[in-house]
Amino acid sequence: MKRSNVIILSLVLFLVSSFAFGQCGDELVDNCASDIGDATYLKDFRVKLEKAEKNKPAPVQRISVVLNKGTTYKFSVCDAPEYDGKAIIQLYDTSRLLGSSLNMSTGKLFSEFKLDCSKTGVYYIFISFQDGNEGCAAAILSYVEQ
Amino acid sequence: MKLTANSVLFKVIYVLFSVLILSACSGGGEEDSTLEIPDSVKNAPTQKMKQVGQAVIDDLVQNVSSPIEMAALIKKAGVPFSKDYLSDPDLVDKYNSTFDKALNLGVYGADLGYLNMYNKTSLIINHITTIKKLTEALKIGQFFDFSTLKRLASNNENLDSLMYISTSSFNKMDRYLRESNRSNASTLMVAGVWIEGLFLATQVADKVKTKEINERIAEQKISLNDLIIVLKVYNNEPGFGELIGYFEEIKSAFDPIKIAVEMGEPEMIENDKGELIIKQNDKQTVTIPEGQMEKIIEVTARVRNLVIKK
Repeated sequence: MKRSNVIILSLVLFLVSSFAFGQCGDELVDNCASDIGDATYLKDFRVKLEKAEKNKPAPVQRISVVLNKGTTYKFSVCDAPEYDGKAIIQLYDTSRLLGSSLNMSTGKLFSEFKLDCSKTGVYYIFISFQDGNEGCAAAILSYVEQ
Repeated sequence: MKLTANSVLFKVIYVLFSVLILSACSGGGEEDSTLEIPDSVKNAPTQKMKQVGQAVIDDLVQNVSSPIEMAALIKKAGVPFSKDYLSDPDLVDKYNSTFDKALNLGVYGADLGYLNMYNKTSLIINHITTIKKLTEALKIGQFFDFSTLKRLASNNENLDSLMYISTSSFNKMDRYLRESNRSNASTLMVAGVWIEGLFLATQVADKVKTKEINERIAEQKISLNDLIIVLKVYNNEPGFGELIGYFEEIKSAFDPIKIAVEMGEPEMIENDKGELIIKQNDKQTVTIPEGQMEKIIEVTARVRNLVIKK
């Protein structure tokens, strides 16, 4: 086979593998869920957001969940590598922000955080991408056995 | 016919691109264009859906705890496993309508969570066989990875994967039902999960008195209110009115329960291991009047047995 043909074939195989394994879907969720350590998987959320329009706030996806008192939950997020966006998770109860995967004081972005839940009720997870970049991410809600 | 290296390469590229384009169009394999349109979709309650928007329904349906959490709490309390709590897989032949199939898929799903928590792999195979029947009847069998689950359960191997695939299959089915305009079936499935989870917890509470389990049962008041709101969206569809009536009976038993919260100031802490932890610091108090738990146990068992047609 000619050298140019080998290059074309390699390129095609690379493209195929990128589509097959890099897509923002089940594969990303499964990989993210396999990375939660000793925690037990409960739910997953897929988020795909466009780049923020100029002078407009970054798009955000809101998800509601019920969390139970006395349980430690872990919120993990994995970004699809084919997008620039780095996901930020913010957790609210019905009235206020409880915490975020972005430590505002240090600027450090975490891929996971835990919540020691002391009140059973509805909570809201907001997921956006840093600097309003286009992005795709899988978020996993799991619980940690005490 | 004589094939040159170039023509072979061209054909390989053509086939690969065709596969690529087809797979990209299939939405990650979650949708099947050959699926028949179920009656529930054809007769979707569009007028009611306008009154309670799809986003609100999605939110409310999500507001039911995972059955895994209830099973984990039961196991943590040191309560031994009991097969008697489970819905009998042989009852599946009684579920002839889409309504009963969706509702009892949720029931068996909650049982599967309980079986997984106690690693009862021999019993799991019966349950997943039944679940497979129901998912195929509801045309969501493509999300239930029966062969992998059966292999893991039969070989008693990789129990974490067994738990993950079981739970994520139910999440995928629920998501697909809601995204394909079958939120009524999704709601029924979630209602089935909820009633069976409550049944398991109340059966345990009837025998073993623990504050944690009693409080978790009492806190189901929050989910129940949301669940009834969503069920009422489909009030005009066959079977829903009766089910709402049953759930209203359970709600009456929960009404005297008081849940009070004293708000605290949340803290974000980065510990020595570099982990980020949120401490919520709210204080929740649950008050269950004397004799009320017994009423909840009784009405839950009665309604659950009606649901499973025992």
